Amino acid sequence: MKLDLSSFLFRTTSVLVVAALAVSACASPTQPGASTAPSAQAGPVSGGTVTMPIGADPTLNPWSPNAFIESLFINRVLFDGLTKPGKDLAPAPDLAESWTTASDGLSWTFKLRSGVKWSDGTPFTADDVAFTFNDIVLKPDLGAQNRASYAAVKSVTVVDATTVRFDLSRKFAALPSFLAYNAGILPKHVLSANPLTTTTFNKGTPVSTGPFKVDKYTSGQSVSLVRNENYFGAKAFLDKLVFTVVADPNTQVAQALSGDLQIMILDNKAAVDRMKSAAGLSVVARPLVQYYWLSLNQTDSRFTDVRVRQAFVTAIDRAAIIKSVELGYGSIANSPITPALAAYYDPSLASKYPYDPAKATDLLKAAGWTPGANGVLQKDGKPFQFTMDVGQRGVLEPVNALIQQDLKKVGVIVDLNTMEWNSYIQKDVVRREYTATVNWWTYPSDPDVFPYYHSSAAGKGFNIPGYQDPKLDDLLVQGQSTSDLEARKAVYKQLQQYTSEVLPYLFLWYPQEIDVLSTSLKGVPELGLRDAMHYAGEWWLAKK
Amino acid sequence: MVVGQEVARFLFQRIASGALVIVFASALTFFFVNLAPGGPSSIMRFDVSAEQREALIKRMGLDKPVVERYADWAAGAIRGDLGTSLLSDEPVTQRIGERLPNTLMLAGAALVVSILIGIPIGLIQALRRGSALDHLLSFYSAIGLAVPVFWLGIVLILVFAVSLGWLPSAGVTTISEDTLVERLRHLALPTVALATTTLPTIVRFMRSAALEVLDEDYIRTAASKGLAPRVVVTRHALRNALIPVVSAVGALVPRLLGGTVVTESVFSWPGMGRLALEAAQGRDYPLITGITVVVAGIAVATTLLVDLAYTRIDPRLRAS
Repeated sequence: MKLDLSSFLFRTTSVLVVAALAVSACASPTQPGASTAPSAQAGPVSGGTVTMPIGADPTLNPWSPNAFIESLFINRVLFDGLTKPGKDLAPAPDLAESWTTASDGLSWTFKLRSGVKWSDGTPFTADDVAFTFNDIVLKPDLGAQNRASYAAVKSVTVVDATTVRFDLSRKFAALPSFLAYNAGILPKHVLSANPLTTTTFNKGTPVSTGPFKVDKYTSGQSVSLVRNENYFGAKAFLDKLVFTVVADPNTQVAQALSGDLQIMILDNKAAVDRMKSAAGLSVVARPLVQYYWLSLNQTDSRFTDVRVRQAFVTAIDRAAIIKSVELGYGSIANSPITPALAAYYDPSLASKYPYDPAKATDLLKAAGWTPGANGVLQKDGKPFQFTMDVGQRGVLEPVNALIQQDLKKVGVIVDLNTMEWNSYIQKDVVRREYTATVNWWTYPSDPDVFPYYHSSAAGKGFNIPGYQDPKLDDLLVQGQSTSDLEARKAVYKQLQQYTSEVLPYLFLWYPQEIDVLSTSLKGVPELGLRDAMHYAGEWWLAKK
Repeated sequence: MVVGQEVARFLFQRIASGALVIVFASALTFFFVNLAPGGPSSIMRFDVSAEQREALIKRMGLDKPVVERYADWAAGAIRGDLGTSLLSDEPVTQRIGERLPNTLMLAGAALVVSILIGIPIGLIQALRRGSALDHLLSFYSAIGLAVPVFWLGIVLILVFAVSLGWLPSAGVTTISEDTLVERLRHLALPTVALATTTLPTIVRFMRSAALEVLDEDYIRTAASKGLAPRVVVTRHALRNALIPVVSAVGALVPRLLGGTVVTESVFSWPGMGRLALEAAQGRDYPLITGITVVVAGIAVATTLLVDLAYTRIDPRLRAS
């Protein structure tokens, strides 16, 4: 049963649309902003409206369990956190000016910016921070989104009106980075009665602290933001920032081509050449803190042998996957730390497992798998055959088909079981009833990947393969235990090397995001668009 | 008056059976979507821990048996409360109320366009049966039925919005300038896309109904007694040929409401079709059930109206 109609349509239309785009490219496009002689604008100017697409109606509350990806962009503009991702992705001041950790590492103290006001004029205080954590995030019965990231936080204490202290049950060096990731502070004076399901807030005009505030929320159509005159920082340049609900990625492309959108993520990478040739649009590639992986369930004894995991990663032509599925926008991954985290990323690992079916065959042979009838590998008379569950989303279907072909070449038979996304999550993630599956992780801009690898998260947490390894656990805890950058770099270098050796997940590739921007839109930092949203106040439109 | 009593009894019977249909549809939908694998999006996401999942299941009341949940929902529905959307925490009636007018406008426009164009074309084809024109128009009808709406929609956008820049590509109106003219401009492309799916049906029904009627004795009589061909066609043939067409229109209405799903997605039209899709994908049990009830209600009401329309067109049916 295919309930995921939009993704189905997306896939089926992509080919047709590219053909249609080629035709429309021949007709001379009447592009707004096609003027070739822009007036010499040196510095930023105020005014104008920027429109960007989102896939569905957003929920304007970063902690709501219903705040999905479409909500993330707008919530990062509206709700400031204590920190935000800096332009180098390291945590930078936002509502907090500075932060320090206690010598025992069991608490963090944040000095808040003074004179900050909510968009309704009420002063922002330390009570709002304590409310957001103590009464929302740390309340188990509310089930707040991202709550699992704060398992180490016991409570938040108000030291004085502009100081808060996070008390921890264990060391948590990455806390300032995590607070920069979908951790907006909510107004106590508005939400104390009902923090997560007040619909006049979540689906209306919330009270917020960011450079823009909501002017109008029209269900199914758009959310319009206007400049927040109470914003503590430099006033936003743009008069308006409009998020328009456009569910179909192909319609997003068409809207960008007709000049209706000024900035967007190009989900349909097949359209990239058409976008590049369009007047008035520029196309840029941005790094993401994201990686694709293949998880082999460690409850299956065939996959506990590291040689089998190394053989698989050697047998899969990952460069070919990046080329055909991502059109080259990505690089091979051999660890969970992505190139976007430049301070930590170890580039020497990139060439660790070159595509080599012969070597893969040797490794499998060493693990006891020898060719039987029809070239299928077998051990103890049983063929090497298993099922991979495929969630219908993004590029997962073509990727799985390529992996299936690659493994077949070394004598491993993979059956693909394609499933509607929601059912897939239930089977593979909630129940862990799977043998192998491909997916991806996106995580805060910090190398602390504890939740995805620690043995305590096996089986029920985010440790999807259920890999358990005391040495890896130790590295993960060490990384959380020191706040010193150089010491952390050393720990995470070891962690990259170790994970690339033992392959808890089979690392596939680090994707890049393709962003399409109007050439008149300036001041957007060179970050993935999700992170660039934190800087929406700095965006400006050059006058034509 | 005897006739008045009979009409009242007829209406009562029809409304009672319609209500039964709606109750049956709601129960069927509720149990089937609950039986479907998966669960509400808030718990079926990668980055939710087992503990969060449990808290949310409890908060949404999903730990109760399905039968009990349906009973609770039905008790509310009788009072006009269709429950609370699991995806947005808003009342289901409010969410449907926001979207239904847009869908009715789009489906209504497509239906009107289909009728206004389809009836004359079908009639012309019948009158020119076997001619080159008849074959050409039949060919176009076949294309109309065969072309997928999502593709046609994108092509319309690329031609009229991107290349020519005549019409807007998506949405119901311009945010900055919400006027009637803007609304009509936004309505144009989705109406054409959606009407393409219904127009051929009306053309084909009209053509075959008109062919049948034109062979009738009374048409030959009318023509042979010297009536102008125009009078024969409009006064005698058209009226009788319309009867099956009216029933086809009645059957098209529920199909149109379903057919808007794709059109609404392509044109970012904030209608109920897209809402239904989101509700199904996100396992928003109360919302999908509420939408089913509303669509079933519209289908029941249309059938009733079609039956009443019959009796206007064909006096013979008034007696039976």
